[in-house]
Amino acid sequence: MAVDIAPAPPAPAKQAAAPPRRSREALTAWLFILPSLIGFLIFTAGPVVAAGVISLLDWNLFSAPTWAGLRNFARLGPDPTFWSALGNTAYFTLLSVPLTIVVSLLLALLLNQGLRRIAVFRSLLLLPYATITVAVAFVWIWLYIPHDGLVNAVLGWFGISGPAWLISDSWAMPALILMSVWKSFGFGMVVFLAGLQAIPQQLYEAGRVDGTSPWNSFRHITLPMLSPALFFVVVTSVIGSFQVFDQALIMTNGGPGTRTTTLVMYIYRTGFENYDQGYAAAQSLVLFAFIVLITAGQFLFQRRLVHYDN
Amino acid sequence: MSKLSRRGFLQLSGLAGIGVAAAGCSSGPPSGTATWSMWSSSAAEKKVWQDFGTYVEKQLGVRSVATLTPSSGYPTKLDLQLVSGTASLVTALNGTLIPTYAARGAHRPLDDLIAADPDFELDDFYDTSRRISSFNGKTYAIGFDVAPTVMYYNKDLLTKQGIPLPSRTEPMSWATFRELARQLTRPGEQYGFTCAPAIDDLVSWIYCAGGNVMSEDGGRSILGEPEAMQALQFVIDLFVKDKVTPPIKNLVTESSLSNFLQGNVAFMQNGPWQVVNARKAKFDWDIIPFPAGANGSTPRVSGSSFAIPSGVREGAELDLAWKLLKTLTSTGALDIYAKAGRNNPARLSAGSAFQPPPDNLGIVQDILAGKVAGGHAFDVTTNWNQVKQLLGQDLPRTFLGQVSVAEAIKGLTPRLDVLMRQHLDTIRQATARKG
Repeated sequence: MAVDIAPAPPAPAKQAAAPPRRSREALTAWLFILPSLIGFLIFTAGPVVAAGVISLLDWNLFSAPTWAGLRNFARLGPDPTFWSALGNTAYFTLLSVPLTIVVSLLLALLLNQGLRRIAVFRSLLLLPYATITVAVAFVWIWLYIPHDGLVNAVLGWFGISGPAWLISDSWAMPALILMSVWKSFGFGMVVFLAGLQAIPQQLYEAGRVDGTSPWNSFRHITLPMLSPALFFVVVTSVIGSFQVFDQALIMTNGGPGTRTTTLVMYIYRTGFENYDQGYAAAQSLVLFAFIVLITAGQFLFQRRLVHYDN
Repeated sequence: MSKLSRRGFLQLSGLAGIGVAAAGCSSGPPSGTATWSMWSSSAAEKKVWQDFGTYVEKQLGVRSVATLTPSSGYPTKLDLQLVSGTASLVTALNGTLIPTYAARGAHRPLDDLIAADPDFELDDFYDTSRRISSFNGKTYAIGFDVAPTVMYYNKDLLTKQGIPLPSRTEPMSWATFRELARQLTRPGEQYGFTCAPAIDDLVSWIYCAGGNVMSEDGGRSILGEPEAMQALQFVIDLFVKDKVTPPIKNLVTESSLSNFLQGNVAFMQNGPWQVVNARKAKFDWDIIPFPAGANGSTPRVSGSSFAIPSGVREGAELDLAWKLLKTLTSTGALDIYAKAGRNNPARLSAGSAFQPPPDNLGIVQDILAGKVAGGHAFDVTTNWNQVKQLLGQDLPRTFLGQVSVAEAIKGLTPRLDVLMRQHLDTIRQATARKG
């Protein structure tokens, strides 16, 4: 029996020429991303590549550059100021990041308790983060004045004789860290607050039914559910801390001695005050490598420590 | 109201982007404009430079465009403008940076322009200004101000204490000065002396003791030699041992002027460039020559100048740049500068415009002319920023009593010597380029 097979109807010409819907969406997405992508290539990737090239040159900005090979990197080893600046930056990071996170988390937990006029508190606590560092630094210089400053006056109420904070070998860096924690806790607080408000209440209700204590509820529900936000804040804070510059420049100018000279401050001085662009580029690439390594390490750890819903 | 389609939105965004880019790429003032750069950190300074602009337009008959930048950011902005080829025809330079720029070829020597211009009188400028504006035997800039460091004193405070006012012309000895500072100090209330805890102020004492930061050829540090060490120890002792200075609260904001203006400090070391600010004092004050050490009263003499960037093209552009530089450093322009009380002008013929108060202002010009006491041009290297930074690390700690002068100098000297050798190498390269 012959079977008639009807020929398939030809597809409408218009439909065949038009790109599938998903391709059109992709194209639109790319168009929207394009300005940002161009900006990234020109203002981020471009300078990184340029720094790579400049690090191989001797260049004082005004005369023609000459080839230096890896000489600028070799200069890093015997340069005591570089290592001192790196040590100071690591010290700053190791103290300021955990402190900022603890303060941010505590305040976020407090604000998440359904306080009245919560928006007012939230805005007030976000003010330090929203204020420019220069202004904040000058206020803190005033607060840290050895005899008449507010910080030492408060310590005096408890019978403690405060140090000359910003000119003390031992206390200048802790003073910067304290100011930095105050300046930046607002960012972490907002992220943590958003994370806390996204935790399903059923989890806490189930915990209450099982008789979980508030501490266990925090340990076994809040912290795991907040871990993506925590991870985000840790990564961005560490990167930000390695780039600390403005508050140290304004409050201590790197002193006393080189006690508060940070790596970015040293890079700036090498490149723009000492006209040693090649060496500054080499230093900045080493800083970049440190940040990449530390961030990569954090991403390795997050597989074990960060809990995602899905 | 019509709805904007997605295509229309993208088109408009694209056009706006092109517009912004075009605006950003605009090439600045048209050719033939007299462009110049200057630092300016206050409304009073801005007013002086505006008057300069008006004077330039009147003299040259062309539009004057001044780029004014706060003094702290001026060097960085100038560097970027020089590198990107967008610098003005004439740029102001602090004297300490002239060798730095000259050695790197950022500014052009002016000797050919001076030689070809019979109207220009280089002899009308103080010798020290000419020395500050030169590098490696060539003139790289023309001065607009020059002045020695002097000692300001609070007349009311001395009179109240029953202490006779010091001589207006005869510098006192260091021993007398120290004794006076001690007598005038009442801890926590009143102090004998204030200066900035940095090399810029220490250097005057070092010169007066017969020492220097670097050897005569600039090839090694001589801060460890007895003359310099004696000077350093003397000043640090005023802070740490005698405690005749207001306590240092913060090295960044420490300001001798602000200490002096409080009215409870007898003597302040500073330059006549602070006369304009010291006039705000609510007490009677005056200036006297710097105390004399073993080498006499020979404090640092500082100055600032105008220079022409190397990127200025030969021909009409260079012609305009030279005319502009001459106008900005002419007697008429420097009269405006001095009359406003900014500082002592670099030209002898404009000197009379810098007028009292203070009563004894005339000694500034007498010192420069070698009639009273003396002065020592601020000797700097071609990498002075680096030298200053290195000195800025440990010297301030001596003022705080954290390290001894001997320890600080011992730690600094090897690193200073490296910088001095680099300085000699830079001069050698600059000389070879010239050849």
